[in-house]
Amino acid sequence: MDLTSALQIALPEVILALGTLVLIVVGAFGGEKSTGLVGLGAGAVLVEAAAAACWGPMGQAFHGGFVADAAAQFSKVAIYLMSAVAIALGAPWLRRKRSAKFEYPLLVLLAATGMGVMVSAGDLISLYIGIELQSLALYVLAAFQRDDSRSSEAGLKYFVLGALSSGLLLYGASLIYGFAGSVRFADIAAAVHAGAGQGVIFGLVFLICGMAFKVSAAPFHMWTPDVYEGAPTPIVAFITAAPKLAAMVLFARALALGFPGATGQWQQVIVVIALISMAVGALAGLVQRNLKRLLAYSSILNIGYALMAMAAGTEGGMQAMLVFMVLYMIDVTGFFACLTALQRDGRPMERLEDFAGLVRVRPGLALAITALSLSLLGLPPFSGFWSKYYVFKAAIAGGLWPVAVFGLVASVPAAFYYLRILKTMWFDEPAGATDRTPGDASAIGMGAALFSFPLVLPALAALDPLATLAARAFGLA
Amino acid sequence: MTGLSEVSLGHYLAVAAVLFTIGVFGIFANRRNVIVILMSVELILLAVNINLVAFSAFLHQVAGQIFAMIVLTVAAAEAAVGLAILVTFFRNRGDISVDDAAQMKG
Amino acid sequence: MGLQAIAFYVLAVVTVASAFGVTTARNPVHSVLFLILTFFTAAGLFVLLGAEFLAMLLVVVYVGAVAVLFLFVVMMLDVDFASLRAGFARYLPIGGAVAVFLLIEMILVSGAVAERGAAAHVKPLSGENISNTEAIGRVLYTDYLYDFQIAGLVLLVAMIGAIVLTLKHRPGIKRQTVADQTGRSVRGGLQVVQVKVGEGIAE
Repeated sequence: MDLTSALQIALPEVILALGTLVLIVVGAFGGEKSTGLVGLGAGAVLVEAAAAACWGPMGQAFHGGFVADAAAQFSKVAIYLMSAVAIALGAPWLRRKRSAKFEYPLLVLLAATGMGVMVSAGDLISLYIGIELQSLALYVLAAFQRDDSRSSEAGLKYFVLGALSSGLLLYGASLIYGFAGSVRFADIAAAVHAGAGQGVIFGLVFLICGMAFKVSAAPFHMWTPDVYEGAPTPIVAFITAAPKLAAMVLFARALALGFPGATGQWQQVIVVIALISMAVGALAGLVQRNLKRLLAYSSILNIGYALMAMAAGTEGGMQAMLVFMVLYMIDVTGFFACLTALQRDGRPMERLEDFAGLVRVRPGLALAITALSLSLLGLPPFSGFWSKYYVFKAAIAGGLWPVAVFGLVASVPAAFYYLRILKTMWFDEPAGATDRTPGDASAIGMGAALFSFPLVLPALAALDPLATLAARAFGLA
Repeated sequence: MTGLSEVSLGHYLAVAAVLFTIGVFGIFANRRNVIVILMSVELILLAVNINLVAFSAFLHQVAGQIFAMIVLTVAAAEAAVGLAILVTFFRNRGDISVDDAAQMKG
Repeated sequence: MGLQAIAFYVLAVVTVASAFGVTTARNPVHSVLFLILTFFTAAGLFVLLGAEFLAMLLVVVYVGAVAVLFLFVVMMLDVDFASLRAGFARYLPIGGAVAVFLLIEMILVSGAVAERGAAAHVKPLSGENISNTEAIGRVLYTDYLYDFQIAGLVLLVAMIGAIVLTLKHRPGIKRQTVADQTGRSVRGGLQVVQVKVGEGIAE
C-alpha cells in the first residue's frame, strides 16, 4: 500500500498531529495571550478529526498497525467530541484560576491522538505506543495545577502506578510476541489458535492486568480515588470519560482479535475482575464523604458493569459495552461539570455537606445533579437505566447470569450513596450561598442532564444500530 | 551457531525475569524515595527490552528490535515526565516520599 | 565453555547484581550509578544477541541522557542532604568500582565480538548479508513508519509536559538580550559633555 492511501486511512490522526504542531507554534509565538485562540483551534481540530473519522475510508494501513473499522470510527467520534468538551470545560476554568496556559488544549489534543491510536491499534506496538501517548499526557494534566500540592500528589501517584501498569502490560506483550512470533493481532490469533501455550496465557494475564489498571478496574484501582480527588475537577472530567472508552475498546480489540482461540481463558479473568470491581465500587463508595472520591468508586463500579458485558464474549456484549460506555461518559462528564461550576468563597465544593440544601441556593444545578445521580443510579427513564439494561441483557444472553445477579445486588449499596447526595441537597438546611456559577460549566452540566433524559431516547435510536455495526468489527459470534 | 546454542533463549529470558522482579520489588520496597521508584520502572522496561531483543534474535525477526526501540523512546519520555512531576511535587512539599504523600486517604 | 558463554554469565550476573544495587542502595546517587552499570551491562547482552544498534542506543540514550537526568534531579532536589554533602571522596570507591566493571565488560564484550563476531552467529535478519543497523533502517521508515511517528509525538508530550510543569517565569530577572546589545549605537550609549573646571556635572 502506498503512503498516500495509508495517510488517508489514518486521516484523523494526521489532522490531530498536524493541528497540534501548528497550534504549538501559535502558542509559542503568541505567548499567554494566544491561549484562547489555541483553545478554539484545538476544538476545531478535534471536530474536524471527528468528521474525518466519521466519513473517512476504512481499511488497514501501515502493515496492519493501524485499523480503521466501524469500532474505531464509532469510538473515535465519541472520543474526539468528548475531548473537545473537556477543552470547553477546562480552558475557562483555568482562566478563572489565573493559570491559563496554552499547553492545556495541546495536551488534550495529544491525549486524544493517543486514544485514537489506541482504538485503531492492530498490533502490540501501536497498542503500547497509543496507551503511552495518552497516559503521559494525562499524567501531566493531573499535575497541571503545579502550585497546588494535591494536584502534584495526584499526578505523582497516577504516574507511579501508571508506569508500573505499563511495565506489566509490556512484559505481557513481550511474552506474547515471543511465543506467537509476531506483534500483529491477526498473526497472534493464528498462533494461539494452533495451541495456546503456557507462555501465551502467562503473557495474556499480564496484558489484562496492565489494561485493568488503565480502565481502573479493581483490584488495580488504587490510583483512582486519589487522582480523582487531587487533580483539578475539569481535568478529572476528561480523565474519567474518553480515556476509559478508549481503553475499553482497546481491551476488547486486543482480546477479541488477538485471542479468539483462548476466549474461555480470558473470559474467566475478566469475570473475576468485573466481580471485584463491582464489589469494591459499591462498598467502598459508601464511606466516602468527598464527592470526587465517591465518583471515583462509582466509576470503578461502572467499569465492572462494562467488563461484565465484555466478558460475555459475544457481539451483543461488545455492543452493550460500547453503548454503556458512551452513555456513562456523558453522565459523568456532566456530573463533574456541575462540580466545576460550584464554588463557595473561591474554594471548590467537594464534600457532601457542602451540598446541603443546594436546591434552594442553586436550583438549576441541583436539578441537574439530581438527574445525573438518578441516571448513574440506573433509574428509568434516565440514560443510566438504558445503559444498564443493555449490559445486563448482554450478560444474561452470554450465559453470565450469576455475574448479572451479583451486579444487581451491587447496585443496591450504590443506590444508597447516590440517594444520600439527593437527600443532602433536597432536605438538609442550606450550607450558605455559593459563588456565581460560570455559564460554560453550568451549560455543560445541564446539557448532560438534559441528555440523560429526555434526549437519550432519540439518541439511543441512533446509537443502537451504530454500536451494533461497530461491535461487528470485533468479529465475535 | 556456537554462541547462541551455548547460551539458550531461556538464559536471556531468565535474566529479564530476574530484572523485572527486582524492578517490581524496588517499587514496593522504596516507598520513601520516588527517585528510586522511577529507576525501578526503568529496570522493568529494561527487562522487557531484553526479552524483546532476545526473542527478536532467536526468531530471526527485526520486529522485536523495533518494538524495543519504541520502548526505549517511551522510557526516556517517561523518565522526563516522571522527574518533572517529581520536581513539582518537591517544590510543593519539600520532600519526595510517597509514604508521606497521604493528604488524601480513604 | 566458550567465550560467548563466559561473557553471557559475567554480564548477566553483573546486570542482576547492579539492578539489585539500584533498589537497595541507601544513597540515590549510588542508585543512579548502579543504574548506569545495569544499562551498560544490558547493552553488552544486546551485543551478544547481535543487536548492536540497540546496544549503542541504550548506551547513548540511557547512560548519556536518562541517567544524567536522574543524576541532575537527585542533585537538584537535594533531599538526603546529610549523606549527599559528604562529597566526592565518598563516591570515589563506588564510582571506581563501576568504572572497573565497565572496563572489564568492555574488554570481554569486544573480545567475544572479535573472536567470532556475535552478529555472525545470528542469521542475517532479512536473509541477505546485511548489518543489524541496516536491517532496522530498512523497516523503521517503511513498515513501522507509523509507530516511529507516534513515538515522536510521545517525545513531544514529554517536552511540553516537562516545560509546563517546571518552567517558571520569574519577573524582575535581568536577562541578556543580544539584539539590544548589538543594536546599541553611539548616539544612545555615549554622551559627550563639556565639563567646566570646578563645577562638575549635576543631573
